[in-house]
Amino acid sequence: MAFDANTLRAQFPILQLEANDHPLVYLDNAATTQKPQAVLDALMAYYTTSNANVHRGAHYLSDRATAQFEHARDRVARFINAADSNHVIWTKGTTEAINLVAYGLEWCLKPDDEILITSLEHHANLVPWQQLAFRTGARLRVLPLTSKGEWEPEYERYFNDHTRIFACTQISNAIGVKTPIKEMLAAAKAVKAFTLVDGAQAVAHYPVDVQDLDCDFYVFSGHKMYGPTGIGVLYGKPHALEVLTPVQTGGEMVRHVTYNSTEFNVLPYRLEAGTPNIEGVIGMTAACDFLANQDRTAMIEWEQKLARYVYDELKFNTSIEIYSPATDTTVVSLSVPGIHTLDLNGYLDSQGVAVRAGSHCAHPLMAQLGVSSTLRASFACYNTLSEARRFCDVLIEAIEILGDD
Amino acid sequence: MTDLTRDAIQTRLQACTSKEATFKELVSLSKQLERLTDADKTEENRVKGCESAVWLIEHQDNGVCTFQADSDAKLMRGVLMVILSLVNGHSKAELQQRDLVAELSQFNLSSYLTSSRTNGVLSVLKKVQN
Ligand SMILES: Cc1ncc(COP(=O)(O)O)c(C=O)c1O
Repeated sequence: MAFDANTLRAQFPILQLEANDHPLVYLDNAATTQKPQAVLDALMAYYTTSNANVHRGAHYLSDRATAQFEHARDRVARFINAADSNHVIWTKGTTEAINLVAYGLEWCLKPDDEILITSLEHHANLVPWQQLAFRTGARLRVLPLTSKGEWEPEYERYFNDHTRIFACTQISNAIGVKTPIKEMLAAAKAVKAFTLVDGAQAVAHYPVDVQDLDCDFYVFSGHKMYGPTGIGVLYGKPHALEVLTPVQTGGEMVRHVTYNSTEFNVLPYRLEAGTPNIEGVIGMTAACDFLANQDRTAMIEWEQKLARYVYDELKFNTSIEIYSPATDTTVVSLSVPGIHTLDLNGYLDSQGVAVRAGSHCAHPLMAQLGVSSTLRASFACYNTLSEARRFCDVLIEAIEILGDD
Repeated sequence: MTDLTRDAIQTRLQACTSKEATFKELVSLSKQLERLTDADKTEENRVKGCESAVWLIEHQDNGVCTFQADSDAKLMRGVLMVILSLVNGHSKAELQQRDLVAELSQFNLSSYLTSSRTNGVLSVLKKVQN
């Protein structure tokens, strides 16, 4: 399979748009990716040929919808190499998945226990644990990783007999650096902590194998992997899902209800109360197929090449500070001391270039970097070298226009 | 604090037919904003809810309000110039009766006022009226 971004682009109708009288250059892929025609078609096909509530059976459309819904679960299980599709729970996204775990494990925490995260987390993998700590009297501890994702042997001491939960991102959304996930997971397992990996920034770029990672929970969002918005996944090992208290109760997740008692349904339904996001789930099949149809090795090499191009173009510019690594990333996060990132963003936007300026939901990490915000260009498979070049050119123009006093 | 009247600013911004033109006009306006000293950039003077740091100081003289404002972002300083041209030299009672959001929307700034930045601008307007 040859990989060609220009051919791939044709599958994404939105990329033909103009933005502010310029061709759209979409480099905000870490926030959300655009959707290929196949995903859009799947959503439309669901509503035009199969719309019905699932698991309530007893008629033609409901059978169709349920079959497609459960097929998507199989598809996603295969996509992350889960041992069984019942290990895949549908959520509305990464955030909800983490919250399901943070509330579902509340029973196992007591004062003096520790929840361990790293200093590279998105707020979604920080605030739920902090609040869990507040509720239970447990301590939230933060493993300091450098902005290069470096892991020091002395960090082993953060994993100890008190560590109940270890939650860590696979890739930082703010600066695009990979964490030493395998070493950390090994250390967490050695102290018998529950482990959760935030894969939100990984799934679109790298093949994921949850059995190889051997974590208890793996979470991600559909919208960051070319799939629909409002759908996400909580993968869990059976024993880990089994011990989660259902946070939400209601229809679908029950077997038998009286006024005095409720018998909960089996997994995965026990953790999926209410009518699910059926169109989103079905769209996930198309998103997984889209990725599976690519040469994944060539694809990630291409995405990294684009980031590397920008890095190399800008690294000698003395007005620019880059926080992302030079290699092995699809993101370039930077700042220009003396110029607000919102102003840079304003000019880029006026030229049709979409990037993200801000703290990227990672206030503590921004503090660690000594900035209040960064400008982040994040690449996807459909971006081209000329788009990477355009980003650099427009950024330099912005610095000239904005840096004159 | 500024020689630019509300009408002059409005004419300049309404003449902008592209986002780039508006951007450059706001940058140019920002250069005329009288900056605050560091001593004035206190937590108390800080306007909460803005994506960039924004400070607003109010002076009253014989019932007439004069505001000074500053931000660490240029586009925001341009927007603050617009806001100051609307609100300086009026009484509190008058300011409280005016629909400042509606007035500001006549400046052809809609795309700069959307999303999270709107909240910031709204916070500035709220503080002006309080
Ligand atoms: C690393 C990481 N974790 C969690 C999230 C939250 O994902 P969502 O908003 O889809 O729930 C994001 C999204 O920005 C992210 O990048």
